[in-house]
Amino acid sequence: MSPYWGATFFSFLPLFFQRMFLLLTGRLALSDLASDEIQVLTLGLISIGAALIGTVLVLRKMTMLANALSHTILIGIVVAYLLMGGLFGVGIHFRTLFFAALLCGILTSLLTQLFNHLLKLQEDASIGLVFTSLFALGIVLATLFTRNAHIGLEVVMGNVDGLHFDDLKIALFVAGSNLCLILLFYKEWKLLCFDQGLAASFGVRPSLFGYLLMLLASMSAISAFRAVGVLLFLAFLVGLPLIGRLLCNSMGKMLAWAATFGFVISLLSVALSRHFLTAYQMPLSTAGLATCLIGVAFLVIASLRGLTFTKNSQILKG
Amino acid sequence: MSEPAVRVKRLTVHYEKAPALWELSFSIPSGVLVGILGPNGAGKSTLVKALLNLVKPLSGEISFFGKPFKTMQKEIAYVPQRTSVDWHFPIDVEGVVLMGRYGKLGRFKWPSKADRMAAQEALDLVGMRSYAKRQISKLSGGQQQRVFIARALLQEAQIYLMDEPFAGVDMATERALVELFSKLKGEGKTLLIVHHDLTTVKSYFDWTLLLNSCLIGYGPVEKVFTQENLKRCFGSSAYLFAETKKLAQAKSTGDK
Amino acid sequence: MLQFFLDPVLRAPTLGTMLMGLASGMIGCLVFLRRRSLLGEALSHAAYPGVVISVAIASFLFPFSEKGALLSILIGALIASLLGLFAIDLLEKRLNVKSDAALCFVLSTFFGVGVLIASRLQMTHPLWFQQIQVFLFGQAATMVDGDIGIYGLLACLVIAILTAFLPKLKILYFDPDFAKTVGMKTQRLDALIYVLLVLAIVVGMRSVGVVLMSAMLIAPPAAARQWTNRFSTFFLLSAFFALVSGFLGNVLSLYVPNWSGAPHLSLPTGPMIVLCAVTLCLLSLLLSPKTGLVTRLVRIGRFRFRRRQENLLKALYKKESYSKSWWLMKRLEMKGWAKQGALSEVGIREAEKLIRLHRLWEVYLVHMGQGAERVHANAEEMEHILTPEMEKELQALLDHPQVDPHKQPIPGASSGVSPEASMRENL
Repeated sequence: MSPYWGATFFSFLPLFFQRMFLLLTGRLALSDLASDEIQVLTLGLISIGAALIGTVLVLRKMTMLANALSHTILIGIVVAYLLMGGLFGVGIHFRTLFFAALLCGILTSLLTQLFNHLLKLQEDASIGLVFTSLFALGIVLATLFTRNAHIGLEVVMGNVDGLHFDDLKIALFVAGSNLCLILLFYKEWKLLCFDQGLAASFGVRPSLFGYLLMLLASMSAISAFRAVGVLLFLAFLVGLPLIGRLLCNSMGKMLAWAATFGFVISLLSVALSRHFLTAYQMPLSTAGLATCLIGVAFLVIASLRGLTFTKNSQILKG
Repeated sequence: MSEPAVRVKRLTVHYEKAPALWELSFSIPSGVLVGILGPNGAGKSTLVKALLNLVKPLSGEISFFGKPFKTMQKEIAYVPQRTSVDWHFPIDVEGVVLMGRYGKLGRFKWPSKADRMAAQEALDLVGMRSYAKRQISKLSGGQQQRVFIARALLQEAQIYLMDEPFAGVDMATERALVELFSKLKGEGKTLLIVHHDLTTVKSYFDWTLLLNSCLIGYGPVEKVFTQENLKRCFGSSAYLFAETKKLAQAKSTGDK
Repeated sequence: MLQFFLDPVLRAPTLGTMLMGLASGMIGCLVFLRRRSLLGEALSHAAYPGVVISVAIASFLFPFSEKGALLSILIGALIASLLGLFAIDLLEKRLNVKSDAALCFVLSTFFGVGVLIASRLQMTHPLWFQQIQVFLFGQAATMVDGDIGIYGLLACLVIAILTAFLPKLKILYFDPDFAKTVGMKTQRLDALIYVLLVLAIVVGMRSVGVVLMSAMLIAPPAAARQWTNRFSTFFLLSAFFALVSGFLGNVLSLYVPNWSGAPHLSLPTGPMIVLCAVTLCLLSLLLSPKTGLVTRLVRIGRFRFRRRQENLLKALYKKESYSKSWWLMKRLEMKGWAKQGALSEVGIREAEKLIRLHRLWEVYLVHMGQGAERVHANAEEMEHILTPEMEKELQALLDHPQVDPHKQPIPGASSGVSPEASMRENL
């Protein structure tokens, strides 16, 4: 029986912090973690990973490519699972994750370039065609092979309640690698986002870093699909950095704010989800809750900022 | 130094299987201010990219003080077009200027106190010291350009490559920058500037390089900036050249 | 084939998907021209919460009326999508968010709201949930005749308005400054286009689903663009491609489960329609006679072959050796340039033209500042490319030169050098 059974929002939070404290001081074993806690930690780590990589994507104006990726990973997942057997039931291994991520990232970039440069189609149409057709193919293949007409739904909506410990490990790995790679190349990312010309003159190759970014984004998206589904991941990827942007004027602070909001919103979504289940017997999609909270947070902060700004200037400026 | 600052021998760069730069050969000594001129599509940006080792030439050699680009990378500063950058990026003026040091810092080091002091001095030289903490979105065109130049100064280079530094800039800034460039020239630096305003060439530059896919001429302004050369560079003959170049490119991609 | 239009079960889905094609194919053209193809993606995802909420409300207000449910779904989707449009505009104009981030943000957050409410309905009202999910990936198979009435009306509205405004749109898209100077209310026209876009999305949702709708706004126009340069033809062709994709997709979604051995599995129609549309697009990009890849490769091949023929011709004229292929020689003879291994009159004139262009070009390059020793290689290329108009311009510019930089004479009508004389010179 989960210690959170019957908890409301207000009893959830203190209980969670208490148990986390016990975990950190070693008095609670990892194997004793309740499913709610695993959900919070996994979703939290997914959000942090998304916030970090999303900030770079937003500043480099590559979010549409990330949107494309979030659709094409479906094909990657389908292929990976077809080769390893069992779709959506079993947790995925690191190897599968990496392999699928690589496949999607490469496929998306490659096909977009093909349409754009070889077939001479304009860039926005190239991206649009590539991801919709790959996604359509993914749905057809997944439906045919799992003989499940509703597989499309599950892929899109995700299921936070179905998360378990393996997902936590993967989320930790992904968030960790995102953090490391962003800190390691922080100057390079900053340079590339702001001034590609100068970056290139310093020997920092935009194309190389672009591929790295796509690889990290693919890995983050794939690690998240079981929790939030392929499409809602975009809300974390774009929404969290936009919130961060409202609150500060430097890239470093933007990363910090986005990650913080990511974790807090994850905690609140799981708590709210438990609350609605307890108080109203309403099971809600935790992923949907998280997305709504991101939207609400953005609205609130944007309006607050608007209020302080109208004193100094007529138009809100970045 | 006895070697010329920039020496280019028979540089040919192709774009889509047709020449964008064709058999360019020139040699620029150190301590001169060079204006690179040419009509649209003449390959001026391609030349800059080739000098920065950003495009692979079909043939030809480029050397800086006798050495290849990779060896001299830290001695060459590039100032891109002001409009190529997103001025709503979350960063302040000092942050932009410090970026100039990133080349010298290498992969994993962060700017030090000494670097920040140097940034302050550079901002002083361009008259923007009090703007150090200002958000770049609040700057005017002239101020943006000054920040870009301060950033270039921080690179402490021997050779400066600038792409249209006077575009969209107010008169006061233009005059201030010209003075700064002369000062740099006096210190023995070499500046190659892509320029668009033919009326100011004689007063700003020592040398000029006229380009229209092939080299029309280069050298001291009095000798090269002549009516005949300008006609060859910008006149109807130049137009014909552009037309034939386009046709050649279309043939190689199967568009015609 | 005809059964699709006559059979009472099949005709509604068939007509529904075709109507969707008409509307989205046409409005997609405008979005495509403006290079904002991904706006359709954002707006269709934004429609989802509207669908969810209105299904809940409708099932509450009119639990037994099919038409009522459909109508409220359409209205809900319309409102939600328009809200999304408004949000995108607000983000871009007042909060300085870049357009790609604004589109992605609205896309995902609106969709998330829809997912949240749908998850609530999944447990409490599973029937409603089923109704909603139909709009995710499209399920034309369950459409009935009554639906067609409403969809038909909306589609006709879109088509009628677009056709009425076609001449104004032409000006707006190709010369927006001119449009303003003649007093066209460009902002209102733009707003109208966005509303039509939302309408087309709402019409298409049932067939293709919100997730894949954007493909029907991109693939048909992209395909049509490869075949024509004329504005009105572009629209008609795009609508035609979308129509065909809708029809084929619907048919395939019925047959593919059969072929794969699971005849009772119902495949959503959206993915199949999209795959048809993208295939048509790919074929157009490859095979269209103006811009297709295959066409371009053929053109390059033909140019290269002509170049080799012309080089052989020159070699024969100059009495130089050239690796003779039998086929190449045959081609020269077929063109009338050669007869039994020797050049004909026509052939000689052609060869002289080539040499003239070559030397003229060399003069031009030297005039432009190139050293005389370097100009030969480029002239070798250009002699095959220069057109008669360019030759005229060159002659005028260079004042009809008589000799090239290597002091060789330039053969030609205006130079007064006779063909025989110049041939002797070249030996």
